[in-house]
Amino acid sequence: MSWFDSIIATNAKTLSKISTTLRLGAGATWPGEIALTVKPNILSSLLSGLRKGIIIVAGTNGKTTTARMIVTILEAQGLRVIHNASGANLLNGIVSALINKADWRGQVSADWGVFEVDENSLPQFIKSIKSIKSKVVLVLLNLFRDQLDRYGEVDVISEKWQKSLESLNNVKIIANADDPLIAYLASSASRPGPSFAQATAGRLEASTRFFGLDDPSQFQKKIEHATDSTFCPTCGTRLLYEGYYYSHIGIWKCIKCKTKRPPLDVSECDYPLPGLYNRYNTLAAVAASQVLDIKQETISEALAGFVPAFGRQEEFTIDGKKVKIFLSKNPTGFNQSLRTILDLGAKHLLLVLNDRIPDGRDVSWIWDVDFELLTQDEHVITVSGDRVYDLALRLKYANLNQFFVEPNLHHALKQSLDVSSKSETLYILATYSAMLDVRKLLTGRKIL
Amino acid sequence: MSTYGDRGNIICLEKRCEWRGIEARVTQVTLETPVRELKSCDLIFMGGAQDRQQKLAGDDFLHHKGPVVKAMVEQGVPALFVCAAYQFVGHYYQPYQGDKIPGAGIFDLYTVHPGDQKKRLIGNVVAELSCQLSAVSCQLKTIVGFENHGGKTYLNENPKSQIPMTKPLAKVIKGFGNNGEDGYEGAVYKNSIGSYFHGPLLPKNPHIADWLIAKALEMKYGKIIPLENLDDSLEWQAHSQML
Repeated sequence: MSWFDSIIATNAKTLSKISTTLRLGAGATWPGEIALTVKPNILSSLLSGLRKGIIIVAGTNGKTTTARMIVTILEAQGLRVIHNASGANLLNGIVSALINKADWRGQVSADWGVFEVDENSLPQFIKSIKSIKSKVVLVLLNLFRDQLDRYGEVDVISEKWQKSLESLNNVKIIANADDPLIAYLASSASRPGPSFAQATAGRLEASTRFFGLDDPSQFQKKIEHATDSTFCPTCGTRLLYEGYYYSHIGIWKCIKCKTKRPPLDVSECDYPLPGLYNRYNTLAAVAASQVLDIKQETISEALAGFVPAFGRQEEFTIDGKKVKIFLSKNPTGFNQSLRTILDLGAKHLLLVLNDRIPDGRDVSWIWDVDFELLTQDEHVITVSGDRVYDLALRLKYANLNQFFVEPNLHHALKQSLDVSSKSETLYILATYSAMLDVRKLLTGRKIL
Repeated sequence: MSTYGDRGNIICLEKRCEWRGIEARVTQVTLETPVRELKSCDLIFMGGAQDRQQKLAGDDFLHHKGPVVKAMVEQGVPALFVCAAYQFVGHYYQPYQGDKIPGAGIFDLYTVHPGDQKKRLIGNVVAELSCQLSAVSCQLKTIVGFENHGGKTYLNENPKSQIPMTKPLAKVIKGFGNNGEDGYEGAVYKNSIGSYFHGPLLPKNPHIADWLIAKALEMKYGKIIPLENLDDSLEWQAHSQML
């Protein structure tokens, strides 16, 4: 790190401290934004302070939980880790996380950096680590439709990723074999390039480990509506599935070009959180830890004590009543949340839909969520949020006719708690900004 | 080709028939669906798709199902074409680079993509119906939705040479509409509607849903069958919130 970079980092850090002191928000991204404006390549320079290497977690759903699991395991091993725990996963958020942990000289001192990276920012992030000599582990979780107004379609993202992955040297890829697009991206990145030059440039050293499930008892009886990659990523033929676990995740093959789900390196472990999607998050974290040569014992012990990230099955006790928040931000995530809470025997539900920038302005996706899973007799439902009437309308067309419509979140929360008893859990499914609002109300205890 | 909550349009039509005791069966038309099955339908819906899926479906549509749908629309079978499907029922789609992609030529319209560097037209939209959609009693003359398109659509390729049969569906109050230039949104031809509104279009615009259902019944039974009124207070509340 040059003296100039040090000055930028130290100054940004001071600003960040002031921001925290003034309670302008601890997870602020603007110190990073300032540093990036002054010095666009500040990221590579900060990252070069990481002694052992960088672990990148990318995908539509599960980034925060998976990254947190990896951090938990690394810390159990006694390693020092820097992590964008606030979920700020654009470049400015990552730079801010690094700056916050930098010393007075602006130097970062840690063994590993574990970063969840936004789908659109991944190519840029990969660009900034090209010159890094230390180890890079790239965890690819899944690609689902999410905020089409902001991200574009799944195919567009996957094309960007493919181009970017081609440029990576010396990377270990941990990939979800059950997601056809991810499996395809990982396989094409780890194959030696067409030219000898590319091969000798280190492409041959790239290697991929696949995780996935081998558990037909978990196959879905009915295919979910929000399914994206059902065509072969290699030849475009409709894929044949032995079974779907959820969305387009499953055991797949192409009868035309014979591409099929790659053999699994990791398919079993103990799962600390309920939900099929969390099995994948856990398998990804375990596979990543294994390539870092962490002992199975350490991994299992660390995961057994795993505490979920904010808003991801996070639990609160309010007036002796249990409240669990499930961030549910896109059709696949929402469907998975619904299935998980139904398995847990949920009776009381609060559903909150916002349409602010972090949620995506377009709320069309709620029509791709299988709200038909809920029933009038078994569930007491309240809906709220900026787009409460859109959500209410969706429920009406899912055969539900008795539920509470409360635009004011504060009242909705109070009302949902009032109707549930002490032995019951209130399950809150909320979009991103709605989840933050709910947490604020709960942690500030403002509702009581 | 379901993206952008297109299923909402189907659910809406299905439920509004069910609530009135009108028996309706939904047939999903895929690449493998035989043409005769398509011909047996009384109402057609076609939505958007990702580029890759659209290409697959597009080739099939142009060569096999397009001419059938065109004949059905000409006969007066009601249809709703949204987003990519709306572009596809026009004469052609002109990409930023490369040759024109021919459309099914059902509606007198065409679409031009001004280039990847140009901003997509994205956001909530409100428009006022400019076409008389008769056989519908409605409280409001507005339609609401969300649009997200790169291509710009223009009606009536050569307005002088023929009587413009394809008319705009609505006049934009807020948002972009067909092209962000002439202030129009959507198109109507005979009993068919094309629109950039997803969101999806029908649940929050029950008047449009009922117009399609009424037209389907009229065509099937050869006479006007009045639709029973439903309690649409929630629908109009969601609609009004967007105004």
